[in-house]
Amino acid sequence: MTEDRRFFNMFPGLTEEKAIEILATPLEQLDDSSERYIAASHLINFPTERSINALITTVQDLDPAMDHRIARRKAVESLGRLKAQTALPTIRSCLTDPDQYTVENAVWAIGEIGTDDDQIKAEITNLLQQENQSYRVIIQTLANFDYKPAIAAIEPLTTAEDKLTASTAITAICRLTNDYSGMNQIVEFLQHEQVKIRRAAMQDLADAQYYEAIAAIAKCPISLAFRVRALRLLAQAGLPTQKIAFSDIEPYLDDVILDHPKTLDLLHEYDQLPSLDFVINELYQTDFGRCYLATQTMIEHYAGVAGPALMLTYEKSAHNDYGAHYHVIKLWGWLKYEPARELIIRALHNTEPQFQKSRGAAAIALAQLGGSEVVSLLKEQLNSSVFGLKYACLLALNQLGYQEFESSCFEGQEPLLQQKLERLSSSSKKN
Amino acid sequence: MKSVLTTVVAAADRAARFPSSSDLESVQGSLQRAAARMEAADKLAGNYDQVAQEAVDAIYKKYPNGQGKDIDAGTQKDKCKRDIVHYLRLINYCLVVGGTGPLDEWGINGAREVYKALGIGADTYVTGLTALRSRGCAPRDMSAQALVEYNTYLDYVINSMA
Repeated sequence: MTEDRRFFNMFPGLTEEKAIEILATPLEQLDDSSERYIAASHLINFPTERSINALITTVQDLDPAMDHRIARRKAVESLGRLKAQTALPTIRSCLTDPDQYTVENAVWAIGEIGTDDDQIKAEITNLLQQENQSYRVIIQTLANFDYKPAIAAIEPLTTAEDKLTASTAITAICRLTNDYSGMNQIVEFLQHEQVKIRRAAMQDLADAQYYEAIAAIAKCPISLAFRVRALRLLAQAGLPTQKIAFSDIEPYLDDVILDHPKTLDLLHEYDQLPSLDFVINELYQTDFGRCYLATQTMIEHYAGVAGPALMLTYEKSAHNDYGAHYHVIKLWGWLKYEPARELIIRALHNTEPQFQKSRGAAAIALAQLGGSEVVSLLKEQLNSSVFGLKYACLLALNQLGYQEFESSCFEGQEPLLQQKLERLSSSSKKN
Repeated sequence: MKSVLTTVVAAADRAARFPSSSDLESVQGSLQRAAARMEAADKLAGNYDQVAQEAVDAIYKKYPNGQGKDIDAGTQKDKCKRDIVHYLRLINYCLVVGGTGPLDEWGINGAREVYKALGIGADTYVTGLTALRSRGCAPRDMSAQALVEYNTYLDYVINSMA
């Protein structure tokens, strides 16, 4: 799975030279004290020796001022993303830093860069004995290193009061001991009342390559971005090693991309049928579990009147809100609300990074609406670089009865898309 | 919801003891600052949309070619407001509670991992919230003490997300 870099180049007007210059300028001489953080973050786009050296120099500056402290820890993260081997000694020195997040980024960066030095791994393990550290990142990194001497230090955290820590500790013990009997607890966390614990559990299941959880992942009521990511990580690990076949993952991936609330295990329920205004307002929740319940309620109880009401909320707020925007586009599709066609097509073509989810939603919605021009609109998107959008287009095209994919459609696609294309093509031949 | 009051009581209860003098001092300190926090919470609640807009304007003024490349700058400005408003709302809750519990539980805990995993930078928040910290002015916007309370939570978000 290729790294998602759509948010990396947030400030394309900022050059490498300028960013390096900002890092070398004393804080008090900068127009805006946040510039140093932006510069340290922006150098991720320049994998050059001079950028790496500028980042290392930033890490070596121990000025305690907050505006420098956050830039310094960002520089550690950027060096990790750049996989800068030469920075390893400097990053290692941050493991004893008084700032928790600097330590966290140092551990994470060492994991990204990689090391065979057991002394460094032991230093990372020792952090588990200290209070107020980022235990999840530390445990994940040790498990990724397959560092078995850490088992004794991780074990007590499997019963931590903080479920985020407990989840990753249980997962790490399973991975390090190769005994996966404890992973059932993590699958249960997918139904935890707190969305952050559901998300964390999903990451842990993917890290453990726990293929038995594929169905539970697909049904977990969190944003599809996390579910698609977890399923892709599992496919990436399991398909080449033949631990799973494409047919083991395909129906679940289809469900997640289609993302109809009826395929989810919804956590919440209403005591009584709420008003249409209430459920529309729920689409703005940051916990997508609540949004899906609202969506389901609208489909079941307000199908005849929700379309125009959604148009009003779109004009007022949802066009600006990438969460609600997604649900509104989906709903217009499920409700076959023809007056929204132009807005749905606009969403299909919207390349703003935070609205990426809505593009796949638009493809599914257009298949619901149908129409002569829809097939060509969807086929065009097979050239995009967005996995979720392309998979959604394949499902949408299939729903519209289009199955004759030219060989050019297969070129350059990642394995999951290739296999989906092959399945759709072969089923058309059988028909 | 975690606050100075709930933390003191929970710690005492875990040890089956009465709150100590230092516990009571920290509660007293929190209560003494409550008026300033309520003033800041009230001002922020009454003006959050404009405050968020100022943060967004600061982001695009600094880097006019900012986030999103295929649409005009005017349209872009509206888009990251959702997140800024979200954090301002959590800051407001913290002012009411007198502790970082709401931010920790709903805004920060788990968010750093998600951002790292998805490759989402905190750049825009840091720029926008830093601008808010710099532009806050007493007594124009609120009293000096209220501004101290408000800036404390702005700093807390910047430090925790960056």
